Amino acid sequence: MGLALVLPPRLVLIFLIILPAITAVVETLRPPGGSGFALTNYAHILGNRILRSDIRFSIVVTVVSVAVTFSLSYPLALYLRFNTGRLPALLAVLFTIPLFVPVVIASFAMITFLVNHGMVSTILYRLGIERFPALVYNATGIVVTEVWTTIPFAVLILGAGLQAIDDALIDSARDVGAGALRTFVSIILPLNATPTLITLTLLFIGIFGSFTIPYLVGGNAPQMLGVTMTNYLTQYLRRTESVTIAVIAFIIAAAVGAIYVASVGRRERQNL
Amino acid sequence: MRMQMRSQWSIAAALVAVAICAAGFNGSNPARAAEMVTLNLYISGDTNIFDLWKKALLPAFTKRYPQYKANMVELLHGNGSDGIYDKILAAKRAARTVDVDLWETEPGFLDQGITDGLWVKLSEKLVPNIAKVPVHTLEAADYYGLPYRGSSVVIGYNSQFVKNPPSTFDDLVAWIKANPGKFTYCDPNTCGSGQAFVTAAIYRYTSPDKFASKAYDVKEEAAWGPGWKLLKDLQPAMYNNGFHPNGNVAVLQLLAQQNIWMASVWSDMGLDWYSRGQLPKTMKFMQITPPLMGDDSRVMVPAGSAHLEGALTLINWLLTPEAQTMIIDVVAGYPGIDWKYMPESVRQKFKDVAKPFAPWPNPKYLADIKRLWHEQVVGGAP
Repeated sequence: MGLALVLPPRLVLIFLIILPAITAVVETLRPPGGSGFALTNYAHILGNRILRSDIRFSIVVTVVSVAVTFSLSYPLALYLRFNTGRLPALLAVLFTIPLFVPVVIASFAMITFLVNHGMVSTILYRLGIERFPALVYNATGIVVTEVWTTIPFAVLILGAGLQAIDDALIDSARDVGAGALRTFVSIILPLNATPTLITLTLLFIGIFGSFTIPYLVGGNAPQMLGVTMTNYLTQYLRRTESVTIAVIAFIIAAAVGAIYVASVGRRERQNL
Repeated sequence: MRMQMRSQWSIAAALVAVAICAAGFNGSNPARAAEMVTLNLYISGDTNIFDLWKKALLPAFTKRYPQYKANMVELLHGNGSDGIYDKILAAKRAARTVDVDLWETEPGFLDQGITDGLWVKLSEKLVPNIAKVPVHTLEAADYYGLPYRGSSVVIGYNSQFVKNPPSTFDDLVAWIKANPGKFTYCDPNTCGSGQAFVTAAIYRYTSPDKFASKAYDVKEEAAWGPGWKLLKDLQPAMYNNGFHPNGNVAVLQLLAQQNIWMASVWSDMGLDWYSRGQLPKTMKFMQITPPLMGDDSRVMVPAGSAHLEGALTLINWLLTPEAQTMIIDVVAGYPGIDWKYMPESVRQKFKDVAKPFAPWPNPKYLADIKRLWHEQVVGGAP
């Protein structure tokens, strides 16, 4: 009975994810026009200056986006956790709005907002700032849009983690004379470490693999790997290169994913 | 005045068409002619092309030939084309008729179908009006696909700011350098108008014929070097220090907001935007020498069509000035027939763009052009 219940998702996983992934990896290990296995395709991709810069660009943009998202979300999650009343309730509704805006629309909205004659430029100009770097069609545009779209997700997961901290612990810390900062550093931060790590890794993987935002808001070059892969597959008609880039992107994401698995595993053990 | 001229032409066209029909198909059974015949059309393209057929061409055709009804199937951006092809091929293998009487689709299926022997080979005997179609466009598809409309990439410029538009590619390059920030072309990964400008730079130093034919040899691409250098040198003079927007529409928007004064654009899109008032009144379009690239859109009649006679009547009617004028009015396309058969007013409107266009490189070279453009032109300094 139990087996029958897990069978459909297992089959989907095996036939639609695991087997194609294995075929893809095998394909990338075949040298062009030869037989046997070799790392020729990988050497070719990593030897290309433009592709190396795309990989570097993807990592940098992702790390910056995650850092900005996190540093904006954590205070918001804390505020929502420890405050009650009208304003926090209103904020709790407001911050989830981006969650319900399709990413394509968000991207176009951001472009209109940040573009040369857009609202932000106009305000900066009115303030007397006449020379400022371009805000869209480059890394800045991607980071701003990624942050805008991922904040609700980050706040929700961080908030769930904070909710799980027992009020009694915080109250007793206060009773023995701990200030707000001390309570945060000694109680909240350590207890919330696992949800924090999970949030960071999920944000990284989500942003690293994104396509729509870098495609619409990014520049011509360098590009994020999602866009590069699509170009290689549909525009340059070079399937093997595209798959090889995908495997490289997967390895990078998997390295980060390992942190997620490790922290989830640790939490499971803690719960036992 | 224009309306009057058009209706005169319509009457003339109708008379010609009726005469042709009477002459061409007098072998058909009069008893059968009274029955309603439904023609099945499969049209792939964007919504503007569906509107052209649905709202203009087909109502006019069925009015002219009341014995026909038209059932049109829309294949948005060619979705489902593989299935249509398989259906036609399967019918041929089974030696049966197929309920696809007319198909407008991508060149790939046309070529494949020629190999598989799926299409009616057109001739003046079957379709008298093809005498009006320029021979080289018929020969390009070996008389299997009927080029009933076309469009090409042209240069759009705002005459408010550009008093002496460049007439050659070299003049254009000089103009871009002299007016930094006022020109751009879209990222060739995202649109044909950008591919055309990039390809023109490559063709500048080599021959188009070598890359337009089916042969592909990666070694030939060494000849593209000077073209890449030219494009790279132009980067600082492009809009926003070398920004190339995504898609044809984004370029038209930059022209509309007067952020740029000149760009490479598709003739049909540019003229369509202009006629709907979405571009400044002072916008003009023209073809340069050597010309930028263009395409003919073709329809094919499957040899196994169940209503062959009707399909041939329809494509013969498509080549009348009446139908061709609709193409110009609705989608601002180029006519499939020679310009000299078009009304004077139409010829005046198109006089700066109605010139021969250059052939595209074959798909493999075009894919490499897109990739190398990304590496050589915008890939930037290490």
